[in-house]
Amino acid sequence: MSATTAPAPPTRPRVSPLKQTLRLTRTEITLFARYKTAWMYLALPLFFAFLSMQFPSDPVVAGLGVGELMMLSMTGVISLIIGLGHASNVFTARRESLVLKRLRVSGVPGVALFGGVIGVVFTFSLLLAAVVIGLVMAMPEGGFPRDPVMLVTAILLGSIVFSLMGVAVTPLVRNAEMAQMAAMVPMMVLLFASGGILPLEFLPETARTIVGLLPALPAGELVQAAYSGYDVFGGPEGATEQSVLGLWGAALPSLAVLVGWIAVLSLVVARFFRWDPRQG
Amino acid sequence: MTTTNSLPDTGAPRATAPEPAVVVQDLHQKYGDFEVVKGISFEIRPGELFGLLGTNGAGKTTTIETLEGFRRPSSGSVRVFGRDPYGNPPGVRERVNAVLQGSGLMEDLTVQETVTLARDLASTPRTCEETLELVGLTEKTKTYVRQLSGGQKRRLDLGLALLTRPEVIYLDEPTTGMDAEGRIDTWRIIQQLKDEGTAVLLTTHYLEEAERLADRLAIMHRGRVGVEGSLQQVLAGWGDRIGFTLPADVPTSDLPRLEGAELEVENGDRQLRATYTVKDGDVEERAHHTVAALLTWAGEHGTLLRNLQVRGASLEDVFLQVADGAADFMSD
Repeated sequence: MSATTAPAPPTRPRVSPLKQTLRLTRTEITLFARYKTAWMYLALPLFFAFLSMQFPSDPVVAGLGVGELMMLSMTGVISLIIGLGHASNVFTARRESLVLKRLRVSGVPGVALFGGVIGVVFTFSLLLAAVVIGLVMAMPEGGFPRDPVMLVTAILLGSIVFSLMGVAVTPLVRNAEMAQMAAMVPMMVLLFASGGILPLEFLPETARTIVGLLPALPAGELVQAAYSGYDVFGGPEGATEQSVLGLWGAALPSLAVLVGWIAVLSLVVARFFRWDPRQG
Repeated sequence: MTTTNSLPDTGAPRATAPEPAVVVQDLHQKYGDFEVVKGISFEIRPGELFGLLGTNGAGKTTTIETLEGFRRPSSGSVRVFGRDPYGNPPGVRERVNAVLQGSGLMEDLTVQETVTLARDLASTPRTCEETLELVGLTEKTKTYVRQLSGGQKRRLDLGLALLTRPEVIYLDEPTTGMDAEGRIDTWRIIQQLKDEGTAVLLTTHYLEEAERLADRLAIMHRGRVGVEGSLQQVLAGWGDRIGFTLPADVPTSDLPRLEGAELEVENGDRQLRATYTVKDGDVEERAHHTVAALLTWAGEHGTLLRNLQVRGASLEDVFLQVADGAADFMSD
């Protein structure tokens, strides 16, 4: 040990937060599978999709009936159920049991921990989406999605928005049970506002515009558009078939709403999220 | 937990400068209007163990949480490797780890899965086998964390903290819930960490633990440091106590006044007991001089010092005195 020279500060190779996110996603998937109540969040969207099949199948747009359109809207908000329900639940439970705090003190950045939960929500949302889309494809007028990239983008953005929303609920509650109850309120409101369990055609134009600023409706409409290739944004009435570019152009406002929500929720989480049960 | 295995060379760069790895200066922490930490300062150098002792609610964990980067100081400053640790930024987080007061394990993972996850998330980790062997959990790899005993979970906590080869480690009551064997093994591991140059901050309710391991320590009470220094300094400040039963035929006023010693006479069970507390003079010799003077006095007066006891301070004595609120007196 030298008392006269101060060596350059030692550095360690840094682990990329992306690698950590993917690794945490893997563990989140394992835990999700072992955590039996989480399966309820998988059953719920399938249940709603099944209910939609009871709606009339008279073609509204691109040969799709109200029921099919609702199933597609539901596909857009599968991540609403999993994200809000599961993320709020496990992040509250892990905060209270010091799991989050331990991971942070061992050098895992917060962004990787949030990324891990977004990863599991995205994975299961994508899996369920494949099931529901498969059902729609099996319908007489069904076919392969016209823009799979937009479909996956919609599910990814939805997963980010709704997982962050679930995480944003956690500072308001003291335990996992309260988290489930607290998440239920925005979940129900957004489900009704998604067009996935009730058609929104009955809403006046102004109300529909306002509902369109919430993240659920744009997520559902993006899936409808991606599947049908029609610009269904603002309602299926008068929608026309679009080219790939035309469809993405028409999708921009909906994408902007989702990205806007991600920005706002990220700020909320960065400002208010608590890693430690004692943090006041 | 193995007792023969030594911690291998980590291969990770070590701070070789004598500069402290951790510096806390006049730290204050408030919860609302309530001030939990009221201006404490200390430093920890590489290879040094600083023991932070104190009563429940003294502010120890809040201090550690500030160092871990979960809280900003209300005032004052904390630095880890010369940087503000708030938010555990890159450059700090790869080099620091902790055993929290609570466990913080995912109950639905197995021991092997837990360690593998931690390893995959870390920068320059030990191997899983090495980590599990260090903390004696090799036989438990396939066991779910929720099936481990409290002591085994504590061992796993320690293993996870060691896995990242930290240069600074915060140990918040690391042996709570461990059996005697686990505790002794943990002490050995902590000693090895020190030998490797790790800067260690330890809080504990087991004073023996601090006596064995701490190079320097502070005793906190209600947010303040009552006593701070090396173990010898802390004990020296408390003084040596020489006590005996006051002979029935000797009035209190006849007891000798001895230089550097304070006399106290207490009413015992049907008899009085005199105690001289010696704080001045050479720590190693002062008890001898006082006893010699007392024996001389007894010889001259033809009396006997019954139940004569000479007692040096223990950390427990100092701790209790600080906890009793005598902090101001002790820190003089």
